[in-house]
Amino acid sequence: MNIQRNCLAGFMLLAAVLPFLVSDQYILHVAIIVMFYAVLATSLNLVVGYVGEFSLGHTAFLGTGAYAAALLSTQAGWPMWATVPAAGLCAAVMGTFIGAITLRLHGPFFVIITLSFSEVLRLIANNWVAVTKGPMGIAGVPQPALLSGMSNLAGKHFYYGIAWGLLAVALYLAYRFVNSNAGRAAVAIRENRYVAQSIGIRPLHYSMMALVLGAFLSGMAGGFYAHYISFVGPEMFRFAFMVTMITMVLIGGKGTLIGPLVGALLVTFLEEYLREAQELRLSLFGLIVIAIVLFLPNGIMGFVTSRREKYEKKNGTTPASMPVSGTKRRSA
Amino acid sequence: MELLPQYVANGLVIGSFYALSALGLTLILGLMRVVNFAHGELYMMGGVIGWWATTRLGLDFFSGLLLVAVVLGLFGWLIDRFLIERIRDQGEEPGILLTIGLSIFLANTALLLVGTAPLKIESPLAGGPIFLGSVVLTKARLFAVAVSIVLMIATYLVIQRTRLGRAMRATFQDPMAAKLVGIKTANIYAGTFAMGTVIASLSGMLLGSIYSTQVSIGGLVSMKAFVVVILGGMGSFAGAIVGGLLLGLAEALWGGYVATGWVDIIGFVLVILTLLFRPYGLFAKRAERA
Repeated sequence: MNIQRNCLAGFMLLAAVLPFLVSDQYILHVAIIVMFYAVLATSLNLVVGYVGEFSLGHTAFLGTGAYAAALLSTQAGWPMWATVPAAGLCAAVMGTFIGAITLRLHGPFFVIITLSFSEVLRLIANNWVAVTKGPMGIAGVPQPALLSGMSNLAGKHFYYGIAWGLLAVALYLAYRFVNSNAGRAAVAIRENRYVAQSIGIRPLHYSMMALVLGAFLSGMAGGFYAHYISFVGPEMFRFAFMVTMITMVLIGGKGTLIGPLVGALLVTFLEEYLREAQELRLSLFGLIVIAIVLFLPNGIMGFVTSRREKYEKKNGTTPASMPVSGTKRRSA
Repeated sequence: MELLPQYVANGLVIGSFYALSALGLTLILGLMRVVNFAHGELYMMGGVIGWWATTRLGLDFFSGLLLVAVVLGLFGWLIDRFLIERIRDQGEEPGILLTIGLSIFLANTALLLVGTAPLKIESPLAGGPIFLGSVVLTKARLFAVAVSIVLMIATYLVIQRTRLGRAMRATFQDPMAAKLVGIKTANIYAGTFAMGTVIASLSGMLLGSIYSTQVSIGGLVSMKAFVVVILGGMGSFAGAIVGGLLLGLAEALWGGYVATGWVDIIGFVLVILTLLFRPYGLFAKRAERA
């Protein structure tokens, strides 16, 4: 879809200009976190939005990537340009393994089995002290040697550039996947599994593709995060991370490419803004999540699309426009 | 090996606690198909309100239990009528996100109100060990097991033997047909959710008298309850009990003989294996498509 592609390109262009205008480290940090979450939300959206299965185990891939990058750089001394793609590959392998098991299940069973996998990985990270250092986590993940002579601000700019690159890769791959035959096949499976099967689409094959791609992207994000924060602990697998990701996807609108971006922006800003409310912060966040489920069931992009369709219908500009992917609810 | 009977006894006691704390979820997840992530927080609320009733209001244990049942029953009813009602029949996703939001809200609001300290509820039976051969158990634990069994039997009888129970089973088999024969299904849904909430909160108070109640316990309880429900099979009542006992036994034996640090992993491994090889639970009666 052209509008979608232009919006994405426009957003990335704006994001590319931002570091030249801003020299406030806090704002740059928030922007980096927004892009990190945008990669995660985009990768989760491939499973939730396009395959149509509700995964609560995406932290498994994020954590695998983060631990892989941390171990490779602290134990084997790999530089950052090698650890981040390697983290993605490790997560993709993990995705192939977990996907081959979990994607045979659907509905609540899929939700619980994916959750179980990420919990198992969290417990391994917590207890396999010899490798992961247990609850202490791996501290002091090295920064690239390039940064040693630079100021803090230049360091932020450097990480901003990498985050931007990651997001660009994630969006490009997601865009290509969604607009390929494989992506259309995945959507067909989401909309009606049996019809898709009857015309020769193998559900497991295409949902695996989406899941492994998602795992690869979130693994790279995890690797990036390990270097940026320079600490990795078992809390990478924690459910709270999952809640943030899934909220972003659903608030933005699942099954659209812009949705996760909008969601990542909104939720990160919301969390930063709610810091003012201090202890009330998480209570308010819970209430906002409830309100979104009740009043914006298709997310912001779903809302925008339905408004546009209504508007066009009223003006009669286009004869019954083509349904935009992801606006149709799955009836379970 | 001389410790084996003790491990088995511990496993059965903890297993019956697991079964009890998952019983409410069997109704809500198994019958209503709401993947209720707020289950642990409802359990926690039972413990906190029970603590408040017994220490601050000065009620005795059983009046406290009654108060918890009434308050949480009403609360569960309202949650269903005002929140769950609006997203019924939309698949599981909205329900999951809604209950996650609810659990965040409840846990953090409780944190604001009572703080992080563990809250101890006085058990009505003074402690003191009982020796059965080589096995040692405390009176308080045996008492809690007895109350668990009574609660489970009561719930079973309500579902199987009463008019309300029959209406519930009809509603979950076929809501349309149930409506046609004059069952007010909205009330049945709300009633079932309230019943699940009451059982969860009662188990929260009961177990708060054995261990202690903590505001942050919810997530762990939810996870264990999911494990038990999946092991037993969705909506299978006997399955939940066997699943709970199985989990308790497996954890006690593993903790006793292998390694205590890895105990929590067993439940999840069991879930993965169960879903792979017996996707409808170990004891499900009918094989239905998910």
